[in-house]
Amino acid sequence: MVQIYPGTSQVAQNRRNFTNPEYELEKLREISDEDVVKILGHKAPGEEYKSVHPPLDEMDEPDDSVRELVTPIDGAKAGDRIRYIQFVDSMYFAPAQPFLRARSYLSRFRGIDTGTLSGRQVVEARERDLEKLSKTLLETEYFDTARTGIRGAGVHGHSLRLDENGLMFDMLRRQVFNKETGNVEMVKDQVGRELDEPVVLGEPLDEETLRAKTTIYRIDGEAYKDDVEAVKVCQRIHVSRSFGAFNPVTGW
Amino acid sequence: MDIEIFPHRVLGSDTTEKLLNDLESLEDVKRTVIHGPRFPKTEETLPPQYRERRVIQVNGEDVTLQVKTGRIFVELTMESTIKEIEDICKKDIPYGFDINQSRTSYIRKEQTVSDRIKYGDMELPEDLVGMTDQYSSFDDHVKIIRKDTLD
Repeated sequence: MVQIYPGTSQVAQNRRNFTNPEYELEKLREISDEDVVKILGHKAPGEEYKSVHPPLDEMDEPDDSVRELVTPIDGAKAGDRIRYIQFVDSMYFAPAQPFLRARSYLSRFRGIDTGTLSGRQVVEARERDLEKLSKTLLETEYFDTARTGIRGAGVHGHSLRLDENGLMFDMLRRQVFNKETGNVEMVKDQVGRELDEPVVLGEPLDEETLRAKTTIYRIDGEAYKDDVEAVKVCQRIHVSRSFGAFNPVTGW
Repeated sequence: MDIEIFPHRVLGSDTTEKLLNDLESLEDVKRTVIHGPRFPKTEETLPPQYRERRVIQVNGEDVTLQVKTGRIFVELTMESTIKEIEDICKKDIPYGFDINQSRTSYIRKEQTVSDRIKYGDMELPEDLVGMTDQYSSFDDHVKIIRKDTLD
């Protein structure tokens, strides 16, 4: 068995699912390529990719065995700029959370750089690769329209109480709830610039589904202390890290 | 004595309206303060399907909500009313709530320097002490609702 994450609880299983690149994540919604570009806000839909260097084929690079071993990703081949997408996950049973995102991104995508903070998670990649991976992140289980926010700036809100309709607090109000259709719509791009047309993200998942899909241990959901196996492994790592190479019986 | 009702989610206009009406129907409730994040200034310019703020009716009077309901402070005189309030909350707040009584008062009862700066050297009626936000105009924040005298 691939050793990805210990534990016998559903939360542990979900964490394994995300982190295991062999596992196919469930697709929950359809968002068009154009909408993804609009949400990202790095370029206008249909606009050419800007580049920071000529395509690799045209560049005269020094001979290097590593360059031969590693196939460049599409964006690097074309010389695209590096751009980002950033997510905020609510503490109230959001499907993903920052550390898990980092682990799973690194096992699922090539050519990325990801940064983890307590409330937000940024991922950087070459522009056309970023668009591809953003589409995956938005369409699959990684994302819930109410509990996950796409926020390049003004990220505050992951630990605040939810709104009555289940939406996470967003000071820039990018994702808003449409009372008439019951859908969550994105009226601004990730940094808060108004969009001409709202992007419909779809209905929020219901509470039960979220509780089944979440990767967050919570005392009012599945508590970490109840997952004996996960706690045991964590304690073992803690002890072995603390001792390092020191053997308390024999001394140095 | 004061109590604080702390809902587990930030309440929208509809639930606030229901809850306030039920609270106001209790004889013992003297004053109520709604506390929470302010509605954004751009709220009025939003298309109607996204708008959350509206004029609610409490005891038949129009109240323009300035904030979303994050918590409600209630001033009452008898301990027995808390049980009634709990029943009302159970009915109106489906997401769970806490009723806190750990502080002796949640609504300020004494005049402070801020009141003096705002109103000058005048006697402020006791009922209005603690009801205002010193950063905004009085009308925006306080709505005096006459008690229902009909039985």
